[in-house]
Amino acid sequence: MATFSKVVSVGRDVLDGAAADAGDFRRRMQGRGILVMHLISSPGAGKTSLLEATARHFAGGARMAVLVGDIATTRDAQRLAPWAPVAQLTTGGACHLELPLVERGLAQLEPLDVEFLFIEDVGNLVCPASHNLGQHRRVIVLSTTEGDDKPGKYPKAFRTSEALVINKLDLLPHVPFSVEAAVEDARRIQPALEVFPLSAKTDEGIAAWCNYLTHERARLLGDIGCTTT
Amino acid sequence: MHERSLVKALIAQVANLASAQRASRAIEVRVRVGPLSGVEPLLLSGAFEDLAKAALFDGARLTVVEVPLRAHCRKCSAVFNVNNFHFCCDVCGSPDIDTIDGDAVILESVEFALAVNEEPAYGDLL
Repeated sequence: MATFSKVVSVGRDVLDGAAADAGDFRRRMQGRGILVMHLISSPGAGKTSLLEATARHFAGGARMAVLVGDIATTRDAQRLAPWAPVAQLTTGGACHLELPLVERGLAQLEPLDVEFLFIEDVGNLVCPASHNLGQHRRVIVLSTTEGDDKPGKYPKAFRTSEALVINKLDLLPHVPFSVEAAVEDARRIQPALEVFPLSAKTDEGIAAWCNYLTHERARLLGDIGCTTT
Repeated sequence: MHERSLVKALIAQVANLASAQRASRAIEVRVRVGPLSGVEPLLLSGAFEDLAKAALFDGARLTVVEVPLRAHCRKCSAVFNVNNFHFCCDVCGSPDIDTIDGDAVILESVEFALAVNEEPAYGDLL
């Protein structure tokens, strides 16, 4: 036996396989009339509070389920349980969710008949931006306590998102945060970002956010008959 | 730190190629990354060293080629470098651009060691 070497050219994204699986997942959800929304933010920006406010607004109307990722505890799932079917995905230290975890969480909730599936990723503005979870839309939540200089520091997270929620508007009088500056910085990175300044605590701006959800679902899933409130 | 999960995906791709090529081992794995790939090259190399040992790639070398972020303008078709993450066309100023390089971890090529039988091939005997 002799050995020799051979160079094989490839030119493939290492996440190609995962992207194909994510596409299958999204089409499967779409076939069931479910719009999949992926929420990312730094820890404490208010993803869970946003979902509580969303569920309050939709109460009796649009139906939603939540998969919530955290490194540890089921605290977020406990907060959301009164409002919606929810499965906690504990990652045991991993800094982001991947599709197999999402699929496992969803299986726990089946049979499921909802209009929206929210996937709340681990609080982290870095890793979650690289992983396609089969979402229709990625939403980045930025809160006024984090500072308006954050978009430029996390370009991938903002570039790969379709919508920006600016949370904790109620704290605006107490913090040095300019909504305009944050939006300008974010839109330098992703000009197409839809922006929703709101307060999940006072419900200011929640109606516009929920309106966006309903319209995106109608637009992307071609179903204008979904319940609105 | 999600470099490990990217390296797992990378190693799975290399393993598939290795079996298609009937390679005995990988010598060099070349990947291309850029400013929007979401990885740190040093951490990528560290994760590769760890995980390659567990696969059939012990001793394989990871070469990380760093490239600039490139984009294509949908309006004027210009191809240009995106500097300072300012996502608008260098030529016409349009924000309607697609990134085309430097935004993912691309497996460029793999150098495999192939073991071959020294017996002459059938064709050589004719």
